[in-house]
Amino acid sequence: MTDTLIALISIFVGIIGANLVQFITKEYSFDMVGNSIAGVFGSIFLIKSFGRLGFNPTHIMASGKVNIFLFSINMFVSFLGGFVAVILIKKLAFKMNSLKKKEENPYT
Amino acid sequence: MLFYDRLQFAFTITFHYIFPQLTMGLSLIIVYFKWQFLRSKIEKYNHAAKFFMKIFAINFTMGVVTGIPMEFQFGTNWAKFSELTGSIIGQTLAMEGMFSFFLESSFLALFIFGEKLMGQKLHFLTGFLVFLGSWASGYFILATNAWMQHPVGYEILDNGKFVLENFSELFKNPWLIPAFLHNQVASLVTSSFVVASIGAFYILRKKNLEYGQLFLKTGVVFGVVSSILIVFPTGDWNAKNVAKYQPAAFAAMEGIFETETTGSEIVLVGQPNMVEKKLDNKIAVPNVLSFLTYQDWNKQILGMDKFKKEELPTNIPALYYAYHIMVGLGTVFIGIMSLAAFFLWRKKLYRLKPLLWTIMFLVPFPYIANITGWYVAELGRQPYLVYKLLKTTEGVSPTVSSGNTLFTLLGFVALYMLLGLLFLVLVGKTIHQGPKHKTH
Repeated sequence: MTDTLIALISIFVGIIGANLVQFITKEYSFDMVGNSIAGVFGSIFLIKSFGRLGFNPTHIMASGKVNIFLFSINMFVSFLGGFVAVILIKKLAFKMNSLKKKEENPYT
Repeated sequence: MLFYDRLQFAFTITFHYIFPQLTMGLSLIIVYFKWQFLRSKIEKYNHAAKFFMKIFAINFTMGVVTGIPMEFQFGTNWAKFSELTGSIIGQTLAMEGMFSFFLESSFLALFIFGEKLMGQKLHFLTGFLVFLGSWASGYFILATNAWMQHPVGYEILDNGKFVLENFSELFKNPWLIPAFLHNQVASLVTSSFVVASIGAFYILRKKNLEYGQLFLKTGVVFGVVSSILIVFPTGDWNAKNVAKYQPAAFAAMEGIFETETTGSEIVLVGQPNMVEKKLDNKIAVPNVLSFLTYQDWNKQILGMDKFKKEELPTNIPALYYAYHIMVGLGTVFIGIMSLAAFFLWRKKLYRLKPLLWTIMFLVPFPYIANITGWYVAELGRQPYLVYKLLKTTEGVSPTVSSGNTLFTLLGFVALYMLLGLLFLVLVGKTIHQGPKHKTH
């Protein structure tokens, strides 16, 4: 059952990763609200997609004890998920808005 | 062991339900704001829609995070229940994830980022699809719960597993539509109070006054309509269903210990005395319950004395109090919202500070009413997980120790406190920034 707790801790780490973006690059960052939301989804997306390679919460607890190595990978991937999600979503938002500008004035 | 499993599930689902109950109702109010903008081209409606979509997004995200332990618990604490009923509840729960969650989350992102790209009509459509996704989500969850409350369309195999015999029966379950409508209108009550209270807050702080008035007016109008609809027809329909399909639960929640020879009284106030099997300090109105339930003043309603002990809910006082808190709060909501609507009509509401303070501080109470409403449904079904077919004791995982459950419960409490704090900071920040703030 500790795997459920690990899943929640993992999401928190994703939120932290996402909020760190604003200290590194303001351009590719929303405010705290946007970053936190993006962090949750980025973390869940990466862990759900790649966790089956061996570092999802169920694998971490497979032996009945916390596998620290797998736990660290999980935390790192989750952090990365949050961090990358903010940048990608921001890029997507830029792209969507610039598409509209091009449509309005194709010569720019 | 069962106690800790139930406690953990009750805690995690209670915390989880703080979020979806707002998103379901708020999505309808956002659609209304966006529609008003399309109709009138007045920019404040568009700002209002986008402002509440931000609050929606925060709640939606918190709902996703707190929903994850639910998914795990089906496999950890309630593995036996999942094993026996998985081929039925797995259908509706999977449909909730595949259809409604993806619909809701995809179009939520498009609503937030795609306004300029899509234009206003398509932007309205994305808002509408978010609303559709969130209500469909509620529908599938309620379909799952309706099957547990009133099982239909199933067959039990020799190994004790439940399998679906008729798929459409799941969605034609007589328990489903009344419960779904009651639940959705209840979330609309919560959302109306949230919208109205943010409006009252802005007016009292003399900040974003134009929006304060718009939010208060919209919240009050939605609030008065939904507060009435929650009682009639949806609440009435739901209570009649309980009386018909779960008469023992009906007797317990109404506090009927002894069957009366003629019509049953409705209890307004009273404390269940489980030793003497009666209500202490009772205030009741004769024959009214019979009339409300069967439209017959003298129709007999079975009391708890007519049922075997094992047929009765396991925690009668909790069920009774949860039901009376829900009903009592619902009555208060009608009173407050009707009063606010009256003063809105008389054009005095924005200056009536005591009423504005009341509306602002009433915000936690619709949440309490919603949650106690769900307690009524869940406590009323006990001692069964699937009514009359599978006992709660038979659904729990035999291999998970109570120490393990208690340890993770404490972990959940700590993490959820952190999550709750983050939620308050994010929502507080959004409200403080106001509807005109741009993030991208």
